[in-house]
Amino acid sequence: MKRVVPRSFRLVPLLALLPWLLAMAPVTPVALTVGGDDGGPGASARVVRSFIDYTRWPSRADPVTICVVGPAAWSGQLDGMTLGDGRRTARKAVSIAAVAGSGCNVVYMGRVDQRTAQQAFAAVRGKGVLTIAENDPQCRSQAMFCLLPGRQTLGFAINIDAVSRSGLRIDPRVLRMASGSAR
Amino acid sequence: MSRSAKALPTLRQRLAQVHLRLILFALTLAAASLLVSGVMVIRNYAQRNLELIASTVSYTVEPAIVFGDNAAVREGVVSVAAVPSVNRVEVRSADGQVLAEWDRGQAGLNSWVEQGANRLLWPEPSRQVVRHSGQTIGEVRVYGNSQGILRYAMSGAIIALACLGLTIFATRLLAQRLQRDVIEPLSQLARVSHSVRTERAFHRRLPPSGIAEIDLFGRDFNALLAELEGWHHGMASENAELARRATHDPLTALGNRVLFEQTLSEAIVESVHTGASFAVLFLDADNFKAINDTHGHEAGDAALVAVAERLRSAIRHGDQAFRLGGDEFVILLPALHNLGHIDGVKARIEGAMARPFVLPGGDHRIMRLSIGVATYPDDGLSPQDLLRRADSEMYLDKNNRRSGGAEDKIYA
Repeated sequence: MKRVVPRSFRLVPLLALLPWLLAMAPVTPVALTVGGDDGGPGASARVVRSFIDYTRWPSRADPVTICVVGPAAWSGQLDGMTLGDGRRTARKAVSIAAVAGSGCNVVYMGRVDQRTAQQAFAAVRGKGVLTIAENDPQCRSQAMFCLLPGRQTLGFAINIDAVSRSGLRIDPRVLRMASGSAR
Repeated sequence: MSRSAKALPTLRQRLAQVHLRLILFALTLAAASLLVSGVMVIRNYAQRNLELIASTVSYTVEPAIVFGDNAAVREGVVSVAAVPSVNRVEVRSADGQVLAEWDRGQAGLNSWVEQGANRLLWPEPSRQVVRHSGQTIGEVRVYGNSQGILRYAMSGAIIALACLGLTIFATRLLAQRLQRDVIEPLSQLARVSHSVRTERAFHRRLPPSGIAEIDLFGRDFNALLAELEGWHHGMASENAELARRATHDPLTALGNRVLFEQTLSEAIVESVHTGASFAVLFLDADNFKAINDTHGHEAGDAALVAVAERLRSAIRHGDQAFRLGGDEFVILLPALHNLGHIDGVKARIEGAMARPFVLPGGDHRIMRLSIGVATYPDDGLSPQDLLRRADSEMYLDKNNRRSGGAEDKIYA
């Protein structure tokens, strides 16, 4: 599983590599602009769906369970989304304490404090769970993807460290999109 | 050197012309076929390259389309497709909307030609559908750029032109070599045969040639020339002999009347030019008839030969003696500067004739000559006048001798 990580690293420029070596929270900010259909929830749903589309789990899950933790502003459309390959998503709300044992494929972190978020992410690390933080623009919570709301668009940042430890395979093109934008 | 020789092209020109045409034809054919096949091959490779680029673009921009990020789509396009062989790339969404496009900046004079060539070589773009999880989410269109092919064609044309220059140079060299090897022996032959015809230069021969056929031909020609030379020499000596016989007396080997008349005319012509005078001495044997009658023709002939020998020894170098026939002789003294010379010659003749000569029978005889002199221009201007004058002078002399009681042993 770790073999995946170096492949993605090849695409990551030094700019992304340097902070990963220096700090424990290497964050690649993505300045890409995601066309939101109807503001936050719609844009968020599209981005999350795309993340799921380009993520390969060790075992295929259908439906893909999205666990929403804490109060989330844009999680309204995450339930019942149809993925590219025809699978659907199922949203359920879970408490921080129950994150590890709830059979989550995706953890969508709402507006919780950073320490709590870090604990939750640490609990699922290496267990094949895609982690997304809704309200962490600095991407310090060890989430793999952090949403970056812009004025009219929704971007995202990638924490390469978290991606590499997640036990998931993220399509390198998505990483490349980030790294390409980071240039 | 007839008028046609100037209008006709020389063999060297012909050969150079044929060479040039042949090589031009071959070169044009080779260059054209190479160029066309090269363009075809390159176009096919370029076509495959475009397809590859289209599918690479499709793969690269797929997530960006899924994320709905047009800027990322454009970046993906640029990162893959910004190569010289691509003219334009379009990425369209499934409903035909242009998500991103990239154009090679066209500028400069070449763009005209390039655009024309682009349309000609790639009327249709390479299309590649963008799929995500089996669904068509967009299309990539890649338009080829003819720059590379044009550059190939251009360099091909330049190389062909350079080859053309080399060809013309090589043709010159070839023509020169041909001239040396083939045409030079032939023109040598022409020169030799021309000089044989115009100057009768039968002694000239063709040098050996480096080419078997021409060498064989040259040897045969030389053999023919040698035969001709032999015939020519034979004929020339025969002619000379005939001419000598026609103008000389066979008995005494002196010039005959024909030669005398010719020489006299020439002497007159020369004197007219130079203004010098000359003399004609007419000589007649006084007692030839008696010798002939009493001792026979053989003795007469011997007497005539003896007279001729003595006359020859009595005259200067440059004076000429002739036998006109019978016992009549003539001496021509050309370029006479003083009349005393005539008397000197006369005295020497008298002296020479005073010695007796031996007849075939063993008898000794003395023969006297009567001599008449005529000088030009004092005694006449025409040959006839001069001869007539000398003749009459001779008779005067003969009569003087007889009346003078000059007696010879013949009469004794």
